[in-house]
Parts: sequence; structure tokens; C-alpha cells
Amino acid sequence: MAPKTTPSTPKSAPSPVASLWKAYNDETPDRLKFVDSFLVFLMLSGITQFLYCILVTSFPFNAFLAGFSSTVGQFVLTASLRSQVNPTTKDFKDVSPERAFADFALGSIVLHFFVFNFLG
Amino acid sequence: MRCLFSLLLLAASARAAILTLQSARFIITDAKGEQVRSEPISTTHAAKPIELGKSDTLKLTFQVFDKEEGQGVQPHQTFLRFYDEVSGEEGLQPVRVASNGKAKFELNLAKPPLSLPPTKADTPLKLSLIIGAPSHSPLTVKLPDLLLPASQAPPVHPDEASFHPLPEIHHTFRPDQKLPPRPISAVFTAVVLAPWVVLLGLWSQVSIRVPYIFSPSILPFIATLGAFEGLLFAYWVDLKLGQVLFYGAGLSLATIFTGKNALAAIGSRRTGKGN
Repeated sequence: MAPKTTPSTPKSAPSPVASLWKAYNDETPDRLKFVDSFLVFLMLSGITQFLYCILVTSFPFNAFLAGFSSTVGQFVLTASLRSQVNPTTKDFKDVSPERAFADFALGSIVLHFFVFNFLG
Repeated sequence: MRCLFSLLLLAASARAAILTLQSARFIITDAKGEQVRSEPISTTHAAKPIELGKSDTLKLTFQVFDKEEGQGVQPHQTFLRFYDEVSGEEGLQPVRVASNGKAKFELNLAKPPLSLPPTKADTPLKLSLIIGAPSHSPLTVKLPDLLLPASQAPPVHPDEASFHPLPEIHHTFRPDQKLPPRPISAVFTAVVLAPWVVLLGLWSQVSIRVPYIFSPSILPFIATLGAFEGLLFAYWVDLKLGQVLFYGAGLSLATIFTGKNALAAIGSRRTGKGN
């Protein structure tokens, strides 16, 4: 994902985390950033729903299941889309981005079908 | 026919000889073998009941005798009948009779025979002797009543407990779950919706161009994907599963077609650009 920064980092660099952030900002295409922000959104959304379930109540448990599993499932689907679309990933050279997006759309529709079943 | 048969029976019984009981007597001995009581049995008048203790033994001796011929007779069948008039229980005990008509019957209360009906302490057993032989008319002799100690309570069958109605089942249910108070719900609604703000904020930072989204090759694909989500939303609101599968089947055909078009267009544009 992010290029290796440790060997090339000079001693004067502020911190590895900051340089990692800088490298990500500079070198990641906007399309991937777009997908990444969606991933962050899914993660935060899942965490808050899970916190609500733990701290307050799991009462409409089907609703919790639907909401939480939709974020987790969507995260998985999106992460796999991202890794297939990413031009620097060597593993998916034979998979075209179009094919990856078709898989993503199909998987999302199936996931949403199950999620809406759970919503009740 | 029946009339003739009963006539024959009558004739047979009229001709049949009569049996009597001779030298009938009973002896009661206790556990040590000492004689407690010994009396001849009178068949003509009612005698005092024979009272037995827990470990006593009753010995009954008699001879079946044919007065006309003046000799003992071995009957075909000889039974002692114990009968409890109160409970209606009865027991029949066969008695072995020797060929000279003499018989000896022993009732050991330490080892009571199976045929002895269960007894209570205060109710006597009616005792009678039933004798049958084909050559003679049948004979039933009333013997003195038998007063026995109360028999033990019948043992409880191991499965006895399962033959009673079980106690009524009362189901207990968990109390209904409650929704949290409204302020907490409101706070967490805001918290759960907050990631949307983050998402929109991040997306506003990323400038991404989608120049061809309204081109005729791509727009139908986006529209069919949106229609799919709308269909699922309608499923949540009020559609049945069958309807969703039916509409979804049609929609998926359209989506496959539009998707193939759209992605092929994008692909050719990408490879064209790349070249």
C-alpha cells in the first residue's frame, strides 16, 4: 500500500508515522483515497454500532445484526475491490478493474439483500 | 336339545354317589413347633374362627370318604378356597389327596402360598373346601373362618411414580425488552450518524473526476444498480420475498446487459488511453 519509508528516512525526519502519512498523501491516487475514505467510514460506523450494542442495549437484535454485518461485509467487499483496482498490487494483474467492479457490484447486491432480510 | 342335555345332567347327578368328609381336624403350631390348638372340624355348625399368629402354621387333615362303599375316594380335583368378603379377593389352593382319600394341607404363615389373598387384621377369610370327582356329585364344605394377621403392604413398583399425572407446567418468560430512554437513543443516533460527516468530509478533500458517468453507455448501469437498491428498500418497506425475487430476476437480466455495455466501454477507453 504505502511505499517503504524506513530505510530512506533521514534522521531529521519528524516521526515515522508522519512520514508514512505524507507518503500516503503524496503517492496514493485520488481514486484509491476515495475508496479509502469509504473504508474509514465503514469502520467508524461499525465501531459505533458495536459500542451501542455493548453499552446500551442489543434490543432490536436483528437491526443490530443487519447494521453491523452490512458494515463488515461492505468493508470486506470494498477492501477486495481496492486491492484489485490498486495498480501497485502485483497479485491481481490479470483482473481488470472493470471485472473487479462487476464483482463488487454483484457482491454488494447480494449482501444488501441479506441485510434487508435481517432488518425485519 | 338344551332341555335334553339338562335332563341328562339331572339324571347323572341323581345317580351319582355322595362324598363326605371324615376326621377333619386342624392343628395350629407356633414357630417352635409346639401345638397351640387342635380341634376337630365340624361341618354342621359354625365354629370359632381359626386365628393364626405371624409365624404359626396351620395343619389341616381330612379324608374324603364314600359312605355307601365305606372307603376313601381320591377325587379328581380338591381345592381350598380363601375368600375375603369385604375386598372380594379370593385364592384357590389345590390340595393333594392320597389314593385312600386322606389329605394333609399345611399353611405356614412364615412362607404364605401365592394363592393366599392379601388380608387385613380384622376381616376374616372365608375358608371352604371344594371337591370334585366324576363318579360323585360335587361337594363344597364350609370350614371355619380364618383370621390372619394383616399382610404386608404390596411393594411399590419402581416405575410407579411415572404413572401419576405430572405437576402442571408453568412457563416462565423473560420480561419484554425495553427501548433505552429517548435522550440516550438520540445521543447514540447522532454518534452512529457521525461517520457520514467524516465520509463526506474526506470525500470533499479528494477530488475525483467522473467525466463519463452521464454518457449513454454508463448511465443505464448506474441506474439499474440504483434500481436494485430501491427494490431492496421496497422489500424492506412492504414487498414479499417472492415479489422481490421475481422483480430481481428481471432487473438482474437488465443489469447484466447494461453492466456489460458500461464496463466494456470503460475498459476500451482505459486500454485506448493506455495505448
